[in-house]
Amino acid sequence: MSEELRVSPIETRGVAGKRRFAMVVDTRRCIGCMACQVACKAEYDTPLGVNRTWVPYKVVGKYPNVKRQFLPRLCNHCDDAPCVRNCPVEATFKVEDGGFILQRYERCIGCRSCMAACPYNARFMLPSHRTYTPITNVVDKCTFCFHRVTQNLVPACVQTCIGRSRVFGDINDPKSEVSYLVANNATQVLRPEEGTKPHVFYIGADRNATEFGRDAYHKPEVMEPERSAFKRNFKI
Amino acid sequence: MGEYVWFHDVSWHASYAIYFFVIGICAGLSFLSYGSWLTPALRPLREKAAYGSFVLLALGGLLLIADLSQPLRFFNVLNPAYLSFTSPLAWGSLNIAAFGVASVLYVLALNKGDEARGRLLATVTALLALGLPVYTGYDLAVHQSRPVWNTPIMPVLFVALAVASGSAVGSLLAGANEAAQKVLHQYMLWSTAAVGVMLVSILGTTHYGGSASELTFMIMTTGTMGLIFVGAGILAGTAAPVALLLAPMGRQQNGLMLSALLILVGSAALRYALLMGPQQLQTLY
Ligand code: SF4
Ligand code: SF4
Repeated sequence: MSEELRVSPIETRGVAGKRRFAMVVDTRRCIGCMACQVACKAEYDTPLGVNRTWVPYKVVGKYPNVKRQFLPRLCNHCDDAPCVRNCPVEATFKVEDGGFILQRYERCIGCRSCMAACPYNARFMLPSHRTYTPITNVVDKCTFCFHRVTQNLVPACVQTCIGRSRVFGDINDPKSEVSYLVANNATQVLRPEEGTKPHVFYIGADRNATEFGRDAYHKPEVMEPERSAFKRNFKI
Repeated sequence: MGEYVWFHDVSWHASYAIYFFVIGICAGLSFLSYGSWLTPALRPLREKAAYGSFVLLALGGLLLIADLSQPLRFFNVLNPAYLSFTSPLAWGSLNIAAFGVASVLYVLALNKGDEARGRLLATVTALLALGLPVYTGYDLAVHQSRPVWNTPIMPVLFVALAVASGSAVGSLLAGANEAAQKVLHQYMLWSTAAVGVMLVSILGTTHYGGSASELTFMIMTTGTMGLIFVGAGILAGTAAPVALLLAPMGRQQNGLMLSALLILVGSAALRYALLMGPQQLQTLY
């Protein structure tokens, strides 16, 4: 029922005649090879220090029954995206046919309102130290590989995923693989309470990985030296 | 233990807090200048407050533009073809622009000694000045995923902070003028007390909230952030000046000056903590 509940006119899930792309990430199949992260970097020349997709993990369980719980992350291409609402110049916008949330780089003023609005850290400021692509100092994020999908290709991360953990397709099409997976499996979305209607669905995501950890207050020590060294050396 | 997270940065950095501080005093001074038309005791502050507000507006505007990563595209916000009215920032930019125009006209009228026009422009300027703290608070309040920010009380809190810090600067400007200080004493006392009440209410609801709120409460009340928020902002910058202003010493010039300075330190600390604290948790998500 809640899946059918449409509140905002911007939403296109279940609207006849419109495509609404979505991704299903089957975390049971993710082996944590990070090939998707590399493929995305290669596709977009995403500079050092920022990512459009990333694969964090948590070690869960008690010795000897422990495992790494991977949770591939990316922009959720929310159906009711707060980043779109917050952009003062419509540099962030929704493509009605497909539901992609995209950026107009030439218009973005770099106010970072969209970054503050996104509950998922999906957005980042493109640093000035970029190698080949002249687009710098504006906000960027995952595009669901708009340029590939409109050529009938799947996103680069999906193409490369060795475990077939990532599946992409039109969820408005009942015959698509994503529709089948969402209909036949228990799925989770990240932070559903924010009302953003995310369109990245997870199968088998552990709530340890999807919620704020109790340890959020104690920052993970292992990363702290690297994190501060990174911040010292790269101005983003 | 064995965990891999990515490096996320906060969206808005501390420079934004300086902007909040400057634009708050700018609005507060504008209220005082308007007040001088209604309360004769404030008459000596009329010009000083208007000029001060104008200078701070220029400074605040520059800070705001410099904080954009594409400062030269600032005019995109004023381009009617681009403007998106669902964004508080769009309203804010229009508000600042209109306030700037009204301030220039007001200062010109004051220079000319044009009483009738001055009074009208003082009203218009003060109304537009009200929009400055309202929009800055609203800018934070709309972010549904951020505890502390996401409360409708935020714009009201920013208005109270603007009145408090504007009156504090007014009190420092008024010097030995007893009549003006008497009025400013009341302004400082009630606006700072209102800030205190709202902070207690925000802290209470944050503490009672869900896991994100609970963790944000912990971040904001312990460690360095706790020192800034609770120590400098609430205790030294809100509770202490209210106590001082209620005491007999608070009616003397030294006591007033000390209260004004404490209020300024407190309101700067509060703006910093309210901006930065609620952003910390999400960098770990
Ligand atoms: S995940 Fe964030 S950036 Fe992506 S559409 Fe949703 S709110 Fe916007
Ligand atoms: S940073 Fe750019 S895309 Fe984001 S809200 Fe500001 S103008 Fe819009």
